[in-house]
Amino acid sequence: MEKFITDIKKFYKYAIYSAKAELKSEIANSHLSWLWWILDPFLFMLVYAFIAGIVFKSSEKYFLAFVFIGVSCWDFYNKTVKQSVKLVSSNKQIVSKVYLPKFILIFVKMGNNGFKMLISFSLVVGMMILYRVPLNLTMLYFFPIMLSLVLFTFGSSVILLHFGVFVEDLANVVNVLLRLVFYLTGIFYSIEKRVPAPYNEFLLKLNPMALILTDLRRCMLYGELPHFTLLAVWSLASVIVSIIGVRIIYKYENSYAKVI
Amino acid sequence: MKENAIDVKDLKIRYRSLNKMSIKKSLFKLKKSQTDVFEAVRGVSFEVKKGEIVGITGKNGSGKSTMLRAMAGIFAPDEGTIDLHGNTVSLLSIGVGFQKKLTGRENIYLSGMLLGFSEDKINHHMKDIIEFSELGDFIDKPVKTYSSGMYSKLAFSITAFLETDIILIDEVLSVGDAKFKKKSYKKMKELITNEERTVMIVSHSMDTLSKLCDRIIWLHDGEIRMDGAKDVVLPAYEEFMS
Repeated sequence: MEKFITDIKKFYKYAIYSAKAELKSEIANSHLSWLWWILDPFLFMLVYAFIAGIVFKSSEKYFLAFVFIGVSCWDFYNKTVKQSVKLVSSNKQIVSKVYLPKFILIFVKMGNNGFKMLISFSLVVGMMILYRVPLNLTMLYFFPIMLSLVLFTFGSSVILLHFGVFVEDLANVVNVLLRLVFYLTGIFYSIEKRVPAPYNEFLLKLNPMALILTDLRRCMLYGELPHFTLLAVWSLASVIVSIIGVRIIYKYENSYAKVI
Repeated sequence: MKENAIDVKDLKIRYRSLNKMSIKKSLFKLKKSQTDVFEAVRGVSFEVKKGEIVGITGKNGSGKSTMLRAMAGIFAPDEGTIDLHGNTVSLLSIGVGFQKKLTGRENIYLSGMLLGFSEDKINHHMKDIIEFSELGDFIDKPVKTYSSGMYSKLAFSITAFLETDIILIDEVLSVGDAKFKKKSYKKMKELITNEERTVMIVSHSMDTLSKLCDRIIWLHDGEIRMDGAKDVVLPAYEEFMS
């Protein structure tokens, strides 16, 4: 644990700088450059809004903002986890030449994807203003809910980072699973209203992503309170998984370089 | 007597069946697959005094690079210990994690931070690094536009100026054109003659080794074949190789 803290102190600057550098290099050669950070979630939201609103005729109050919150959070989780599986082998250059605590690489990705998420949340705010969503104190719960999202993402990522090194086709499995979770998370429909009675409770309890999204919408759009106990339980679970994951990484990270 | 900077004891490094596996393979082969162990370093022990310059040589596949990487903390030893007595260490090898789309300057920051240096220290050396690397205006162009020579010149300059207590060098002295080679020799010599700095060089070049080192360790199939002054070891090695 102590090692974890000193390592973070030593490398957080690298993580920040590297995340920035990655963002920069992603847009370095495109014509629309940073506009893509806004266009990307915006266009996806249009696609989902079209499918959900016109094809499936689902309609929620403040529908576009509703979808956009879902898309932003999901993208953050989805991208970070997918990249984590292949993180060590895609950073072979670094891993085989210097020592670096491998979870720092996850921080880099989380910084990168988190920045994009913040941009799309600023779009959400813009939309909320357009919709004239009434201001409410419950909006402040945005921050603790985000914290649990970050914890849960880190927890999932450390575990997958470790096994991703040794199991080559784990990425395929994870892709399928993520797709399944995508549909079970209710990005463009409301789980509470659209899923029949006993199952929606199950989904909210067992799928932390669904829980996080539903609660974010409740407190940002509809002025309702989040599910405190469930959020706390999942956050705690994420912390425990993260600790186990970091331990595993510390124990085995020096053999990663031999495998890749 | 000077204190030791590096203590290596009974170092063994194996490449086991840590091979990647696929889920299909592990499903169909439930019984334990044959462990295919290859021992790259087989029980090597030596000590290096502070300020000493040690060359490591040996034919291809004799475990030189593996050992160096273990000392840099990239590999864990399977048996034995490596004690660096708290000295900072860096492995000088070509292109430490360069991001090809970023400029040279940004890559200097990235590599520096990766080696554990503060931003101030990197800023402090920035000018020297750029000057030494002879990149000129290219320093603000993306690394992917560099020629291979420029690439390695930049890599060399970064590690040469961001100094650590122990420097491990893996065959990078033959970088760039004749002029740069001379310059990097000089710089190396300068780094090396610092009393506080301990250096280990892996090389095949007799020339490099005899010019720079005092002591040579000859590795053969993961074991130390000879360890001693360069006048003794180098002729013996040369005879063996011819």
